[in-house]
Amino acid sequence: MIRALLLVLLLALSATGLRAEPAMLKDGDVLRGHFVQERHMQGFAHPIRSEGSFVVAPGRGLIWRAETPFAVTTVVTPAGLVQSVEGTETTRLAATRLPFLSRLYDMMAGALGGDWRALDGVFAITRTADQIVLVPSKPDDPTAAQIAGITARLGRFVEAVEIRKPGGDFDRLTFTAQSLNTRPLDAAEAAMLK
Amino acid sequence: MRKVLALLWLAVVIVAGVHVATIARSGLPLETDIMALLPREERDPAVQAAKDRIAETLARRVVVLVGHPERDVARTEASELRRRLTEAGLVKTETDVPGPEAIKRLGAAYFPHRAGLLADNDRAALEHGDGQSLVTRALSQLFGFGGFVESRLLARDPFLLFPAFLTGLPVPANRLSIDEGMPTVIEDGTHWVLVSLILTGEPYALEFQNRFVTAFDAALADAPPGVTAKRLGAVFFAQAGATQAIGESSRIGLVSLAGIVLLVVVAFRSARPLLLSLLAIGTGFLVALSACLALFGSLHVAAQLFGASLIGIAVDYALLYFGQIFTNRTRPADRLAQVMPGLALGAACAIIGYSALALSPFPGLKQVALFSAMGLLGSFLTVVLWFPLLDRAPGARLNRPIAAAARGLWRFWDEARFGRARIALVLVLAGLGAIGLARLEPDDDVRRQQGLSPTLVAEQAEIQRLAGFGQLTQFFLVEGDSEQQVLEREEALSARLSGSASGWQAASRFVPSAKRQADTAALVERDLTQPHLAAYRDRLGMAAPAVPEAAPAAPLTLAEITATRALPFLDALVLSEKMHVVTLDRGHDPARLRAAAEGLDGVRLIDPTGDLSELLRAYRLRTLGLLTLTPLLMLALLSWRYGWGGALRVMLPATAAIVLTPPLLALVGVGFSFFSAMGLVLVLSIGTDYALFCAEDRDRDAAILVSVCLAMLTTSLSFGLLAFSDVAAVRAFGATMLVGVLLAFLLAPSVKQRRGLVPERTER
Repeated sequence: MIRALLLVLLLALSATGLRAEPAMLKDGDVLRGHFVQERHMQGFAHPIRSEGSFVVAPGRGLIWRAETPFAVTTVVTPAGLVQSVEGTETTRLAATRLPFLSRLYDMMAGALGGDWRALDGVFAITRTADQIVLVPSKPDDPTAAQIAGITARLGRFVEAVEIRKPGGDFDRLTFTAQSLNTRPLDAAEAAMLK
Repeated sequence: MRKVLALLWLAVVIVAGVHVATIARSGLPLETDIMALLPREERDPAVQAAKDRIAETLARRVVVLVGHPERDVARTEASELRRRLTEAGLVKTETDVPGPEAIKRLGAAYFPHRAGLLADNDRAALEHGDGQSLVTRALSQLFGFGGFVESRLLARDPFLLFPAFLTGLPVPANRLSIDEGMPTVIEDGTHWVLVSLILTGEPYALEFQNRFVTAFDAALADAPPGVTAKRLGAVFFAQAGATQAIGESSRIGLVSLAGIVLLVVVAFRSARPLLLSLLAIGTGFLVALSACLALFGSLHVAAQLFGASLIGIAVDYALLYFGQIFTNRTRPADRLAQVMPGLALGAACAIIGYSALALSPFPGLKQVALFSAMGLLGSFLTVVLWFPLLDRAPGARLNRPIAAAARGLWRFWDEARFGRARIALVLVLAGLGAIGLARLEPDDDVRRQQGLSPTLVAEQAEIQRLAGFGQLTQFFLVEGDSEQQVLEREEALSARLSGSASGWQAASRFVPSAKRQADTAALVERDLTQPHLAAYRDRLGMAAPAVPEAAPAAPLTLAEITATRALPFLDALVLSEKMHVVTLDRGHDPARLRAAAEGLDGVRLIDPTGDLSELLRAYRLRTLGLLTLTPLLMLALLSWRYGWGGALRVMLPATAAIVLTPPLLALVGVGFSFFSAMGLVLVLSIGTDYALFCAEDRDRDAAILVSVCLAMLTTSLSFGLLAFSDVAAVRAFGATMLVGVLLAFLLAPSVKQRRGLVPERTER
């Protein structure tokens, strides 16, 4: 799952470079926005929906703050993933303990620079004007094993992403109110991404 | 009669020569493992078996980190290194990095038994009644970014305890992550790719280690610029050690030999004494080598090193004999008769001294003892039986300045006018000794005694740090009547270790005991499922499974997990059903480890390095005991010839030398180790020889003292050079010999202070 979402993030960021108009994200940039995440899972009466804000700082990481209905902050850096609820850490996954996480971070970093080679080996990529579709090209590759496919809708930034999983579950993410470099990282954010 | 004996001795030497030549044709079996010099654990076969298993696991393992700033270069070179070594037949084709299939098998083996499996932290939370924290964690994964959220998993493991168990498994080398099948760690912009190899040959075999290291170095030399490698493996240490020891031994042997040749030629101005000296040395060496190979099957490099030094002592007998050419005795028989008592007593005393070494339980030192004693005996027999037949040397005049210097030393110890100087010398030595005594410190740490290559030690530490490998210098041995009991005992030990900053690996942390699995299932049911599950499902709109899953028929067993081959290191942890090893990561507090094992049935902390240091201490003390016993034996032997008073006087120089040497060396910072003590044993023998040679000289003949001086110089040359060895143990031995022999020489003429020590004999 982390892999899938990081890929989305990767796309979200790299897509900015695909469009003619916006500047490509580079180190030091800060992308902020609002998200709605829906996890559609079999056997659940309704999707698990969460809503909140995110901050992406290339080269440093991602802060994903779900605010409703359950407040949880997820911080992803090259070192791994840490979740906390009301300031108390609930989950910590060191990149070294979770295979591929750090590798994915590399892929993300590569794609940020417009370098698609890291992705190319793992996914077959189809692009149209406002959509990008990723399908695992190597079914054996563990990086792609948990993802059946990804579709992203592109505007100035990535506007929506759907991640399909082999079991039939899918996650749908919608991004709104995205802004680039309107506000630098504040002290608390900088500390989280240290 | 004498000719018959000489011929018999010739036959023995020829047999020894043929024996050595036969073996040498297929290469001399040389041993280089320093540990082979140390005694095997005799007290407890279980402990020895565990140590052997750990050593075996380690010995054939080679771990290399191949580093480069570019990921692809590091990966390519890592693969290339493995390919070249595999193609050369030096490493096995299989690897101990589990592939994705094995990982899948592991997950499939664990999953049905998940009810009995719990991460340590989760268990602690439930035991403290904090089921709510596990509920919060599950919610944060569901509502947050990422996490192991998947409907099929949630239906069977609603609180996501199983992924927590898997990610919490205490796998070794936990700083590495698998990057497309290759264990990798990135630090400061360098991609380090781990290459784990298993050797096909014996890492301590010289031929194999040389082939391996040559191929390894060649592979690295062909790598593109910027590629670096860090090495870990017994084979590297063994190869470096052997190269160093052999180099040192041949250097020391060569310089020693050159020095001796020069001395003898300058002193006797003739090649014949030199050739005969070499003959004495050569026969001694040959017989010693043959005896060692016959008795032990192989020869340790250390014994060879000491063998090179043996040359220094063996030549003493030849020097004493040829010293006689400076007297008016021209008949070889007369010359021999003159020195025979000193030679025989000297050889007897030296053999007593060397036999003391054989009493030590250290196998390598037994070799050294046999080597030295046989070498000396051989040289002695050559001098006594062959020299009179081969000696054609005419009488010669002693070089005047040398003769004057020798007589000066005699006079110093004899004449009344030097009384004050003698007292002053004794006082200075005693004073220095007293100061040194205060600084004298025992040094038993085995790690300091080995001449491990500092580069390799640093690389090893780097690999351990980068990869997160544990240490194997200390471990726990856990025994029981059954596998279940062993697992339960490990769990008791783990409970005591938990909370320490560093990790540990135990089989029970991968497969809990059946009892623990049942406890876990009950704990989860009581403190998590019962109080929280219904509300949790309601909140998420999650349906309860229509048919509750049946519990597995039997608890998870160790065999099921081992069979997946996903955790190869389990092989090292499980010695047998009834005996497991618990290994430790670095950074544990030793005192805490000792405390952890205390009072637990079947659990013992094994500390091979500590044990070896403890053994070195024990044998240092034992050697000191031998050093008090040996002079008493020698005294008894000598009293037969000199009476008790005379015997005491003969023993005094050597005894003073062994008492003074350690404190004098302490002044320059040399600690007192077992190896220093062994050096003292030899100083005692050699020093007694010098005093004996002096005592046996009725005429205060310059020739005798010149012979003793030459003997001292040759001995110092060869042993003194050992003081420059890179191996601390050998260095301590060499320094002890150097100082001890010099002292013994300076004090030796003091035996002649009173005339009439030896009954006068009529000259023919």
